[in-house]
Amino acid sequence: MTTMQVDKCPSRRVAGDHDPAAARPDPRSAAGTLCLKVMDTPNAPIPEAAAPPGTPADVNRRLGALLEQIAAGDQAAFAEFYELTSRRVFGMARRVLIDVELSEDTTQEVFLQVWQNASKFNPEAGSPLAWLMTISHRRAVDKVRSSQSSTDREAKYGASSQDIDHDSVSDEVGSRLEAEAVVRCLATLTDTQQESVRLAYYGGLTYREVAEKLNAAVPTIKSRIRDGLIRLKTCLGVS
Amino acid sequence: MTDTNAQNSGRVPGGFAADIATDLASGRAADLAEVYALDAVDDAERAAIESYLLSAPQAERAAFNERVRQARETLATSFTAEEEPPAGLLDRIMASLPSQDVPAAPGAHPSHAPSAVPPVVARPVREPSGRPVTDELGDARRRREERRRPQGMRGWLVGVAAAAIIALGGVGVGAYVANQNDPLNQVMQAGDVRQATVNVAGGGTATVSLSTSKDAIVVKMNDVPAPPPGKVYQMWLIPKDGSAPVSQGLMDAEALSKPAVVKGISTAAALGITVEPTGGSASPTTPTVAEAPLGA
Repeated sequence: MTTMQVDKCPSRRVAGDHDPAAARPDPRSAAGTLCLKVMDTPNAPIPEAAAPPGTPADVNRRLGALLEQIAAGDQAAFAEFYELTSRRVFGMARRVLIDVELSEDTTQEVFLQVWQNASKFNPEAGSPLAWLMTISHRRAVDKVRSSQSSTDREAKYGASSQDIDHDSVSDEVGSRLEAEAVVRCLATLTDTQQESVRLAYYGGLTYREVAEKLNAAVPTIKSRIRDGLIRLKTCLGVS
Repeated sequence: MTDTNAQNSGRVPGGFAADIATDLASGRAADLAEVYALDAVDDAERAAIESYLLSAPQAERAAFNERVRQARETLATSFTAEEEPPAGLLDRIMASLPSQDVPAAPGAHPSHAPSAVPPVVARPVREPSGRPVTDELGDARRRREERRRPQGMRGWLVGVAAAAIIALGGVGVGAYVANQNDPLNQVMQAGDVRQATVNVAGGGTATVSLSTSKDAIVVKMNDVPAPPPGKVYQMWLIPKDGSAPVSQGLMDAEALSKPAVVKGISTAAALGITVEPTGGSASPTTPTVAEAPLGA
């Protein structure tokens, strides 16, 4: 598979040039910066020190600080945490559960869990966003499995979830760059890997249910999920 | 039909069994990390994995945990669907906040210096004036919504060639009797199904079968040429309220031959189809090649 950006950027720079100033987007030449960034450090996350507003690194730092305040009972910090993340939590719940009320219930449960367990957040074990989305996905999946048969879930999954999962339109340059990387990296997965990972993530299906739906052998689906996620991780430079 | 993965050829290839217990018994616990992180195991299997890890050698447990951590970071980065939660949800949550499990040792959480915290764009204003926080958050949300409302929507729609509606009316269902529980058949056999066919720029037509009672449409492409190399067809629902088109999925050359079910159409004014780079786009980047009004 080829990446979409390669031919658009004739002045390719040496990979590995990590000058933070070069990686910082210049608002006056957004298009050029976009190209530069994609070519410079195709997959690696933006170094934290140079992370422009709106990037996951920047948001995660803020969320980490808020979690400490929430752990101390700070309701304003909790409200800000909600403001920064509720679209993600609700958006994922909607994809998994479809039903608006169930998604709202799930979102409420997730944030109550954030409130009660903020003190248990361990930065060593992952980023705040990954922590939050892990809680959210587990909640959504538990709810969908208890409230709907797998047949219903597959039916509801239907055509509604086969898109790129990157339907948030952000006006932040930092997240746009991140979105570009995700689109590019998802394209490095085989179609069958993408399909299996998405059916599990947004369809709420177990690997066994994915295998049934795709008429594939159970060990094959486990391999696809493993290999797909590892390939995606490698491409994105998750460390 | 195993998937090859050149990037990871250093790992032990393949080798999964049909069930988790056998995988664990054959020393493949770490290879289950991705499936586990994806919540793609059932409760009993999750318990089996966790129970195995409790007594596993420390190195094996560490390897598993590290892969789970990386998989979760990868998922949080890659799957970023967003949707505005219902208005007032924050208020309801705030009203129901129970007391917290306050950590025993206040110093257990190392505090970052405040100066290390970067400014956050669109950070809601804290309550300096004594105004309720949630009002300010609501204001911030409204402002942000206004900013996000796509400016180019009218142009995007106007730029579309007028869609030709060839047929509207009752649809024969003879061809669709195989499986009544199939979502496709639920639409096609609905009492109120209506059908329209629109031309697709570049050749062929798209037939849209709509059932208001099922809140869904079935889209079937007829004689539509395969997308150019590196491109796919992407379907969008265009909301009645003028907000941004919502992606409903991709169709590659293979998927073109199959009908696709799109649900949740009650708030949509039209279905649009665009040609996008492989993997799809977050919002339409080209004019539609076909558009079908959904005057439900």
